[in-house]
Amino acid sequence: MAADSHLEALAQTVLYNLEHQHDWTELRIYRIPGLSRPLISGLPPRRLYVHPDEQIEIIMAEKTREERIPQPPEFEWVLPTHLAEKWSIKAFAEVFDAVDPIPPSDNPQESTDLEDEDAQWKQWRGQKRGKRILLSTVQDDSTVTYYLMHDGIVKPRQN
Amino acid sequence: MASDSETERVVRISKIAGRYLVFDLQDVVYLRRHHNICAVFVGTMPQNPTQNIFMGLPVELLAAEASVLLNKGAAYIADEAVEHLSRLSAMDETGRKAYLQSLKTQRRKAQATMDEERAARSAEAKARHLGAKAKKQQPPSEPLVAEEPLFDSAPQPEFSPASVSTPTPRTVSAAPGITPGTSAGLIDGCTELTAASAPKPSPLFAHLNSKGYFITPGLRFGGDYSVYPGDPFRFHAHFMATSYEWEEELTMLDLVASGRLGTAVKKGYLLGGQRPRTDGGDGRGGLVDGGEVRAFCMEWAGM
Repeated sequence: MAADSHLEALAQTVLYNLEHQHDWTELRIYRIPGLSRPLISGLPPRRLYVHPDEQIEIIMAEKTREERIPQPPEFEWVLPTHLAEKWSIKAFAEVFDAVDPIPPSDNPQESTDLEDEDAQWKQWRGQKRGKRILLSTVQDDSTVTYYLMHDGIVKPRQN
Repeated sequence: MASDSETERVVRISKIAGRYLVFDLQDVVYLRRHHNICAVFVGTMPQNPTQNIFMGLPVELLAAEASVLLNKGAAYIADEAVEHLSRLSAMDETGRKAYLQSLKTQRRKAQATMDEERAARSAEAKARHLGAKAKKQQPPSEPLVAEEPLFDSAPQPEFSPASVSTPTPRTVSAAPGITPGTSAGLIDGCTELTAASAPKPSPLFAHLNSKGYFITPGLRFGGDYSVYPGDPFRFHAHFMATSYEWEEELTMLDLVASGRLGTAVKKGYLLGGQRPRTDGGDGRGGLVDGGEVRAFCMEWAGM
């Protein structure tokens, strides 16, 4: 129970950091069956991640439409960890096996406008979206670092 | 992968002092083309033993590379220290003769090539000389005096056709000594002699190689491997990869540091390991006597 409350507190710390420092919204803590730790899901103020292939498709679509395509943010999974923890490939595999690619959202507007067109670039928000989590690491001085972690071999963004 | 006749090739990997070396140029080309394995050139020129860049044959394979090739049946490993001596002492008369004959053939070939080159060179020199002479006759002007030694270092003011032909007959007698690049003529194929201990496999390496990635040692980017989506001559690396055991402890600071470093060199940080076999038929298993390989990629989230 003590360990549990420690993980709860950790999740709460990360949640507050996301809410107040990074302006995330719709933050919720999820307890996923089969997983000993809570996960956070939330909506960043800007889109956090665009797959390089998706970016190419968006650019091509923008060229044919001759207008910019707005990129609203997507819900993300956040995994709170502490710097002192020890992880392993096995532990990460368990987390990825337990989550769906798209976090549950009660934001119906986003999911419905996926259906109407079958443009390739839209698929990346739906079925083509790979599993990814935002790995957040808390240090005792309340610094929180965020790294995107993808399941599988996902090529890096061009930055 | 490829379905050429060349796929039948079985590469000889010489194990010398615990290192896996390939000496045959054709093998090196074949490994790179058909098995996405670049390996590392480690050979120096005999004339310049302190050389440490622009290395030549042989190439040294990582243990993981040797292991992948061995498992595919694309190579065999020969423990040279044992094999060389035993093969040489066991050689019969006909084998010996055949080998000497092959050396002679190589020598003749080298001789022919050298003659050809020499003839080409002297013809070129002659043409140049004639050109210079013509130039000298037309404008007897200033800079030409200084330039002249550049054109013909040999003091031959009257360059006659006879003098061109003289070097060729002189050198015919002195056939060049050659050092064969491989001892392939001596040794044909795998022997049962050497059950050299199998190289240590790396499941992550095997996994990436099976997906068509090219992998080179990763020190320069701070990981175990640099992972390229195609031949490193044509692509930048996409990932710096580190291989872990399935339940090996990872400290968060290592993850953060590597993620940060990977992003700083414009690559993803890839970490992976293999699930131990659970004696159930799981789908992607069987790479190197084990279960599925999981890989994760990390990038800085930019926040």
